[in-house]
Amino acid sequence: MEDPTGAYPGRRGLISYVKLVIPFHFLPHARVDTYSKVLGYYNMDFSQIIANSLVRGAELSLLAIGLTMVFDILKFANFAHADYAVLGAFLVYSLNQVLGLSLFLAVILAAPATALIGICIDTAIFKPLRRKEAKVVTAMVCSLGIGIALRNILRLIWTSRTKTYAIPIQKPIEILGARLTFTQIGIVLTGFISMVIFHLLLHRTKFGKALRAISDNRVLASACAIDSEKVIKWMWFIACCYGVMGGTMIAMEHLLYPRLGFDILIPVFCAAILGGIGNPYGAMLGALTLALAENIVLALDFSYLISLGGLFEVGPIQISTGYKPAISFVILVAVLLFRPTGILGRK
Amino acid sequence: MPVIYFLIYLLTMIGIYSLLAMSLNFQVGFTGLINFGQVAFFCIGAYASSLLVTKAGAPLILGFVGGMALSGLFGYIISIPTKSLKADYWAIATLAGGEVVRLLALNEGWLTEGPFGVMSIPQPLRWLFSKDSYPLFYLFLIAACVLIIYFVLSLLTNSPFGRNLKAIRDEEDLCLSLGKNTRKLKLQAMVVAGMVAGLAGALFAHYITYISPENFKPIETFLMWAMIIVGGRGNHLGAILGAVVIQLFNVSTRFIGGYVPLGSDTMAALRMVIIGLLIVLFLLYAPEGLIRERKKVYHLKRKHIE
Repeated sequence: MEDPTGAYPGRRGLISYVKLVIPFHFLPHARVDTYSKVLGYYNMDFSQIIANSLVRGAELSLLAIGLTMVFDILKFANFAHADYAVLGAFLVYSLNQVLGLSLFLAVILAAPATALIGICIDTAIFKPLRRKEAKVVTAMVCSLGIGIALRNILRLIWTSRTKTYAIPIQKPIEILGARLTFTQIGIVLTGFISMVIFHLLLHRTKFGKALRAISDNRVLASACAIDSEKVIKWMWFIACCYGVMGGTMIAMEHLLYPRLGFDILIPVFCAAILGGIGNPYGAMLGALTLALAENIVLALDFSYLISLGGLFEVGPIQISTGYKPAISFVILVAVLLFRPTGILGRK
Repeated sequence: MPVIYFLIYLLTMIGIYSLLAMSLNFQVGFTGLINFGQVAFFCIGAYASSLLVTKAGAPLILGFVGGMALSGLFGYIISIPTKSLKADYWAIATLAGGEVVRLLALNEGWLTEGPFGVMSIPQPLRWLFSKDSYPLFYLFLIAACVLIIYFVLSLLTNSPFGRNLKAIRDEEDLCLSLGKNTRKLKLQAMVVAGMVAGLAGALFAHYITYISPENFKPIETFLMWAMIIVGGRGNHLGAILGAVVIQLFNVSTRFIGGYVPLGSDTMAALRMVIIGLLIVLFLLYAPEGLIRERKKVYHLKRKHIE
């Protein structure tokens, strides 16, 4: 995507690089400062790593759940899913910063609005494809096109400048040796409550029963008078609402900009596949595992290995933070190669 | 006359993107491999060739060959997972692979100069031409490359090898049951496609003379996808036509941008909205593209039946 902020391409590269990296790395308290020699020369602060992973895991799992649900029912990978979430996050921004609503209220209003847009896109694009019985690959490429269009519509409306929500700067509090802000605690709690609600939705409601029936055997479900189109509409509704919550959380923690959707797409896919795509509980587990892996790999000090077990003096060597996005890519490829069914397998 | 130079630039870019679109078409349209990381080939070809020439001091021709070889090697590497992955999983993996290649170019500053990019890349046979006539020469060079690649790919796709690839695309299980080594065929297809795209990358680097990771963002892959969807998959002319249409649109809107009272960011965003919508609309209403694939029907002669 072109970025007009710099006149000169090299500079432009640097700016987008900072934009990409800083948002994911600005947690200052996550820096490893305790040089306690845990596990030989590995320098990390375990409780802080776990706390950070919980926050990131909560954000990712809200997004991964929607993705995995769409894949389960409609059988295609929705490359536009993260862009729906960012659209919602921008709506939240407008409600919050322009109309002055509280964030909580803004999410409650923005989530159904985004869901409505998601359902409209489904009716206009994916439903005709379903009716034509097009290949799943066609739907996948279509979703890629929708993602490109949506991302740039966001750029048209809200410009590419980065945005933040109206959240006062908070002093972190200490819980069991980890330092967290109230926002982060809120993110973890909201994530947890949403997961419980999702579980209840899946197992205690008629919709959940119908969804599971369609996922198991679509023909049989329609023979039992389950209106699959109606269930699919509700599924989009829930996937979009959860996505908006996740997208808003990521924007709260970091920054909000139109390309955010593309930047979080691979971690979200990774989380969904890691846990076994089509399996919502797997998506939660996958998100947590990925978040933990990201934080641990960045905190690891490889000087012990490089110095061949302390043979000669080497300063601390850590993986460049520029590679943080690459961690999820590498994990994704490794999982796809060695265990494409994910940790929990396909349900 | 700036208009003529603009036209030459436009045609040169169309040529480079025709090569890329033909390469992607060879994977998607003929073999049925959904590659969302096509830009990685382009990036590797460009970086390998320019680094071989500027840092290792190799002659230009070696740079081109090296770029094609490395890009082909990357094709080999990313085709390995196709044996166990379904098409959609592989597509996600290639998207990730393309990003990893760009991140490597961005972060391995000792080799690639990181975000600052490789500068002053020499141009082939530069001393033979004046400053004004050189772009025209380069255009002919690229046109020659496009023609050669067109004929080579046509030969390949009309050979038994090409028919096997189409069989993989249409019915992979049937192809397997006929005793074809589909894994090896896919691998060969990816290497060929990688080499073509690597050539495009080398041509691009030596034309622009300055490359940075900014040139190889995922958006380039989406442009190539738009080309083959608009132009039509499964035939080489379709890919070239798609490259012409999309590049004309892409570059001319940049040109018009000077006369329209909209910011450059707004114009760029508007352009990409239209390209995204084009992909969706073509898939919905004209899934075969502008030039549809001519499917050969082999008529059984009477004597064969008797």
